[in-house]
Amino acid sequence: MRPLHMLAALAVLAGLSQFGCAQTMYRWGGYDEALYDHYKNPQKRDEYVAKLSGIIEAAEANGGVVPPGCYAEYGWALYEEGRATEAVVYFEKESKRWPESRPLMEKLIRNAARAKAPAATPAAVPASAVEGGKK
Amino acid sequence: MKRLLVLAALAAACAQPPKKDYAKLVSSNPRAILVVPVVNKSVDVDAADYFLSTLSVPLAERGYYVFPVNLVKRMLEDEGMADASLVHGTDPARLCALFGADAVLFVTIEQWTAKYMLITTQVTVEFNYVLKDGRTGEELWRDHEAGVYASDSAGGGLAGAIAAAIVAKAAPNYMPMARQANARAMAYPGPGFPAGPYRPEHRKDLPAAAEAPAAAKPAQAPAAPQAPAAPK
Repeated sequence: MRPLHMLAALAVLAGLSQFGCAQTMYRWGGYDEALYDHYKNPQKRDEYVAKLSGIIEAAEANGGVVPPGCYAEYGWALYEEGRATEAVVYFEKESKRWPESRPLMEKLIRNAARAKAPAATPAAVPASAVEGGKK
Repeated sequence: MKRLLVLAALAAACAQPPKKDYAKLVSSNPRAILVVPVVNKSVDVDAADYFLSTLSVPLAERGYYVFPVNLVKRMLEDEGMADASLVHGTDPARLCALFGADAVLFVTIEQWTAKYMLITTQVTVEFNYVLKDGRTGEELWRDHEAGVYASDSAGGGLAGAIAAAIVAKAAPNYMPMARQANARAMAYPGPGFPAGPYRPEHRKDLPAAAEAPAAAKPAQAPAAPQAPAAPK
């Protein structure tokens, strides 16, 4: 009897700790480690970008929610590499999934559009100045 | 009986009432939290970025939208704010307006050190966390966490201790301690954050004292959860 009680108690405890405290809402897929590695080895940039991409793919493939900030972080990484068109796709996804991000994402999408327009010197000249010069 | 006692003890540990005043945080009711780069008072120059990487996950897991920390850091650098202490000295309302955030979390590393003794290595971390309102700039919440880990001879005897010290000497690993400090700081009930809008228990887990002011002005109460989103 007593061992059974102990087992039951342990099972209840395990259940509580699993569902009451330790459960995570999102599939982070190592987002924090990816950031840490990026800061530790900034020269391994490709790995960082690939990890962000992997986090998004894994979360989407399982029908889960891509954690807050991950679409945007990936979009930013693409933007920094001059891949503005691809970046916009992810800024839009962040904006759609997380409405709190909308004002910032709209700003980033506008910036990306400016970076795309003068292809030779991305983002070097504000778009307003470029347009003014053309007229 | 034994089982009941164990459960009661666990329930008591979990239901420990929060000791701080949540009135301001509850009435501000932020949805979207900006985490800006960390001010580093330690001599380890890498600590700020390393610690920054640990903050998003536990905060988002409390049910808030957390702005992507690396994007934020890089955008601030582009705005001429590469120095974290400059960012921390900036008006919270201005920072939040730049990103569309409801509140901003300022984190400071007070200690991030390893002390090497003959056979033990003592690793110490200490952090201050302050959340400020994105409209008024008022402080909504704060916490302080510290942790000390010493590799000692309790487990593996002298040889084990020496081995542990050597391992620690090669690369003292601060990250588990940093994560533990964050987990303690953000746990609720505890010193941390009541559930944010993405958790099912949002607005249902509040201490009675913090709920009272909201109930006192019933005309505003139903509109309050939407209020932060309105200016966007």
